[in-house]
Amino acid sequence: MKKILSLLLLLTLGLALLAGCTPKTDGGGDGDGEPAPPTRLNLYTWEGMFPSEVLAEFEQRTGIAVNYANFDYGENMLTKLQAVNGGEYDLVIADDYIIEMAIAQGLAQPLDKAQLSNYGNINPLYQGQFYDPGDLYTVPYGAGVQTIVYNPAAVTKPIAGYADLWDASLKGMLGVVGNFRVINGMALKVLGQSYNTEDLVQIRAAGDKLLELAPNIRLIKDDNLQDDLVMGEINAAVMYTSQVTMAKLAMPELEVVYPAEGIGFGIMAGFIPSQAPSAEAAHLFLNYLLEPEVAAQCFEWLGYYCTTEAAEPYIAEEFRSFLTLPEGFSLEMEMIQNIGTEAMDLHAEIFTEFKTACGQ
Amino acid sequence: MKGTAAGRPRRGKNLPLLLMLLPIYLTTLLLVAGPLVYMLLLSFLTRAEGWGVHYVFTLDNYLKILQPVYLNTFVQSLKLALLCTTLIALIGYPFGYFMAKLPPKWRGLFSFLLILPFWTSSLMRLYGWMIIFRANGILDKLLMAASLTAEPLRLLYTYPAVAVGMVYVLTPFMIYSVYSSAEKLDWGLVEAARDLGATPLQAFFTISFKLTLPGLLSGVVLTFIPSMGLFFIADILGGNKVVLVGSVIQEQLLKTRNWPFAAALSVVLMLLTTLLIYLYRRITKVRDLEGLI
Repeated sequence: MKKILSLLLLLTLGLALLAGCTPKTDGGGDGDGEPAPPTRLNLYTWEGMFPSEVLAEFEQRTGIAVNYANFDYGENMLTKLQAVNGGEYDLVIADDYIIEMAIAQGLAQPLDKAQLSNYGNINPLYQGQFYDPGDLYTVPYGAGVQTIVYNPAAVTKPIAGYADLWDASLKGMLGVVGNFRVINGMALKVLGQSYNTEDLVQIRAAGDKLLELAPNIRLIKDDNLQDDLVMGEINAAVMYTSQVTMAKLAMPELEVVYPAEGIGFGIMAGFIPSQAPSAEAAHLFLNYLLEPEVAAQCFEWLGYYCTTEAAEPYIAEEFRSFLTLPEGFSLEMEMIQNIGTEAMDLHAEIFTEFKTACGQ
Repeated sequence: MKGTAAGRPRRGKNLPLLLMLLPIYLTTLLLVAGPLVYMLLLSFLTRAEGWGVHYVFTLDNYLKILQPVYLNTFVQSLKLALLCTTLIALIGYPFGYFMAKLPPKWRGLFSFLLILPFWTSSLMRLYGWMIIFRANGILDKLLMAASLTAEPLRLLYTYPAVAVGMVYVLTPFMIYSVYSSAEKLDWGLVEAARDLGATPLQAFFTISFKLTLPGLLSGVVLTFIPSMGLFFIADILGGNKVVLVGSVIQEQLLKTRNWPFAAALSVVLMLLTTLLIYLYRRITKVRDLEGLI
C-alpha cells in the first residue's frame, strides 16, 4: 500500500515538473515570412507608462492585443532581453543609458521609418543624443530633467541653484532622489564640472563637497519623494520631472527651480528588440504614440516632458508648464551618459560615503 | 534516512526511496547549490566595461571590501544588528517564556495573534509605522495631546525608527524560538530546585535559563542575521541614511552594475552567517535551530 502511495506521489511530482516544460506558445507572428497581420504586441516597460484609454484605443483600432509586461529596473530588463536573445518582446521602452548598452550588444533592430508616418512629430531637441546618435533605433517617449522644488513658506532663503542647497539654513530639510549620478552630479556641477567627467580627482572632489551637504539631508529616496514634500516632512527637494508634476498638482504654491549651474536630463525611448516576434506591431504602436492627440494624452498621464513637439498644442493649459520647457529656455543642458567602470565605481563609493554621513 | 536504508540492506528495495528523494536532491542542487556556486565564481571575476563580466581571475573584489567605506558598512550593519538583537531578546525572551507557562487554551490564542500580522506583507506593515512616525502623525498627535512634547519629533527617517522597524518585524522569531524551548522544559525540575531551597531567581538561572538557552540562541541567530540584510526596513524608515551591507549589495548589483563586487560582498556576508551558526552549534550542541524545525 505504502509503495503504491509513494509511487503515486512520485508520479504527481514528476508531472508537476513536466508541466513547467510545456512548449511556450507565442501569440505573435512566428516569422515565417507569411504576411499575416499581427495580432499581439508584446510591450516591455515600467509599470504605468500609458493611460489605459490609449492602450484600449490602439487595440480597438488595430485589433492588436497589447500584452504589457513590466520591469522595475532597466538593468533587469537588459538581463532578461539577453536571456531571450532579443526575442519575445516587440517593443521595449527604457532609459537612454541602458538603451545604449542594448544597442551595443546588438539587441535592437533599426527602425523602418517608412512605417512611421508620424516620425516628423518628434521634437529635434531630443534627437541625435548619445545613446542613438543617428536616430536609427529609437523613438523618444518622454524626457526628465532634475529640478529643485521647495516650499517658499518654509524656506528662509530663496533657492536659485544647486549651490544654495548647501546653505546651513536648510539643515535637516532636504530630500533627494537616490540616483548617485544625479546627486554626485549636483556636486560636480557646483564645482563647475561635467556630469560625465571621468577624471577621478574631480569625482573625488565632488565626493568631499557632497559630505558638506550631509547635515542638510533628511531623506534619500527614489519613489514618491513628492509625498514627503507635500506632507511637510521635507521643505526642499531635488527630484525627477514626474515627481515635480505630481508635487505641483498637489501643492501649487511650491517653487520649481531650474538650477543655475545647468541641468541634467535623461530621455526615455522605445526600441524594437533584434528578434522581436512582430516588428510590424511595434511600428504600428510607435506611430500611434507619435500622433499629436495620443501623445498629449500620454504625457499628461506620464508627467514627463513632452518629446513629441506636434503634441504640445494639444496639452491642456494646466499641464503645459510642467510638460514643456519655458519659452526661450537657455540653460545649459547635459545628458547623463554611461562612463567608464573606474569612474562609475568611484561614484558608487562616494555616494555610499555620503549616505553614511547623512545618517550620522 | 540513513537508519532506514541501513535496516534494509537489499539494493532493489531502496530504489523507490531513492526515486522519491531524487526530485528533492535535484531541486536543491539546481536552486540552492547552483546559485551559490555561481555567486562564488562571479566574485572572483573582473567586471567588464559597461555591462557584464570578463572571465579573468582577480582578488580585487575582496580587497575592495577592505576599503574603509565598505568595511564601515559592515561595522554599521553589525552595530545595528547587535542593538536590535539585544532589544528583541529583552522583549522576546520573557514573552516566549511566559507564553509557554500559559494554560494550553491561551497559548493557542497567543500563537494565533503572533502569526496574524504575517498575513499582511511586511512592507504594508512598515508603511503603517511610517504613518505613526510622520511629523504630525499619530504618535506626535498623541504625545502633544498629552503635553509630553511641544512640537513634532520628526522621528521618521531616523536611526531609532529603523531600530523600531527591525525589532517589530523580527521579534516574533525570537518569541517562537524561546517558546518552543520553554514548552519542552520539564517544570518538575524547577519545582524540585525550589523544594531543595533555591530562590525563584536561582531556580530560573540554574534550571530554566540553561534549558531554554538553545531557544534564546536560536532566536539570536534568527534575528541577528536578517537584521544585517533587511535593508528595505532601513531604506523605508531610515530614508536610506542607515547603510547596511544589504543595500550596498543591491546598489552595486543594480545601479553600479559591478556584479563581481556585489557577489564578493554577498560571499563575505554568508561567511559571517555561517560563522554565527557554527558558534551556535558549538555552544548549544544542538544541530537544528530551535523553533524552526
